[in-house]
Amino acid sequence: MKENNEEKNDGPVTDDDLHAYVDGFLDAGRRPLVERHLAAHPEAAARVVAWGVVGASLRKATSWKAREPIPARLDLGRLLAERRARRWQPMRVAAAILLALAVGAGGGWMARGPSLPDGITSIAMEASAVHRAFAANIAASAPDTIAQSQLTNWLIAKTGHKVASPDLSRSGFRLVNAQLVATMQGPACMYLFDGPQGLRITLFMRPMERRDMNAPMRPMHGKDTVGYVWARDGLGFGLVASEPLGTLHTLANQIRSEMGPPI
Amino acid sequence: MSALATLEENIPSLRRYAWSLVRNANDADDLVQECLVRALDRLGTVREEGQLRPWLFTIMHNLHVNRWRRAKIRAEIPAADADAEVSMPAPQPASLEMREVLRGLRELPVDQRQVILLVAVEGFEYSEVAKILGIPIGTVMSRLSRARDRLRDFVEGRTQPVLQRVK
Repeated sequence: MKENNEEKNDGPVTDDDLHAYVDGFLDAGRRPLVERHLAAHPEAAARVVAWGVVGASLRKATSWKAREPIPARLDLGRLLAERRARRWQPMRVAAAILLALAVGAGGGWMARGPSLPDGITSIAMEASAVHRAFAANIAASAPDTIAQSQLTNWLIAKTGHKVASPDLSRSGFRLVNAQLVATMQGPACMYLFDGPQGLRITLFMRPMERRDMNAPMRPMHGKDTVGYVWARDGLGFGLVASEPLGTLHTLANQIRSEMGPPI
Repeated sequence: MSALATLEENIPSLRRYAWSLVRNANDADDLVQECLVRALDRLGTVREEGQLRPWLFTIMHNLHVNRWRRAKIRAEIPAADADAEVSMPAPQPASLEMREVLRGLRELPVDQRQVILLVAVEGFEYSEVAKILGIPIGTVMSRLSRARDRLRDFVEGRTQPVLQRVK
């Protein structure tokens, strides 16, 4: 090891040494050798001095740019806000497309005429479509708290309901996504939860139009979905899972009692 | 310090590097903005805080290479853009050396310009520069020699604005 070091410290002086000398990266052990070389070779010494001048001039000539005030478009807060807005966009579009497909493929009521289902039936259909679209395709992520509070504020403004992001953690369900989604009857909120054994459930909420401003809780079955729907004081709810789940009724009752009456 | 705070702290030097590289204030800030957007998307993937600064310059380098390739394909961007010089609000450099070193920097091939800026202005170690630029360390050292010797000619007044150096 010692021999290697000595060898390294005795090797011929190269350009790499001279750079390291100028930049302050030279091994302490090699410094005396390089300094002897510079003392013996004036042209090498002049080169090293000139390199130092080049570096200092470059730093001086460019430093004003680093001291300049940062322009608004490089403000991190602003870039973060734009990024959030961007991330929302594709999901909204995806939801709209998937719902359009669900409506097109629904067939049954479409055949009866051009009118859309309304009332609690439409809540059941939409909640089912949203669950099928999102529960299988969205990766669990930390839900965006700003997105959540925006959803909550929008719901409160729209319905006058005292609503908050539902907390189902006592039953072992964790909120993993919250989004505004498009439906044929207007915008709606969806909250996606991850539960024990990889179970996923979707809570769907939308202001009611025209009919069923209040509707008692009833079970629903959709294509590959089961759940409960109800409406209260103009706000419609759907709680949906992909397979029958013993606790789903209990959870629906909990949400119904917690999503309070109008303010 | 949080990763976000470290990111913010590096914005001034990212702007300095971008401006020194492209010599056009607007293009430089475009590059920085794109770099920050990418960095925000992947900030969580940086494990060690010491890695953040070289990582940012790597993103910047890759963006610059892509733009440079696009510009080359279009092949209509003049090497010394007269309009860009006019729009550049750089203060007049105080000394002859500073003026000449900037002129020399502009005339360096872009691969030499990157190396000397990363070493002499941004203070990266040679191994970090090799990683940022994706080249072997030997290439970093040889480009550094060529860049330093070339810029020495400028600061020592051995170049004329239009004449090539005669070896």
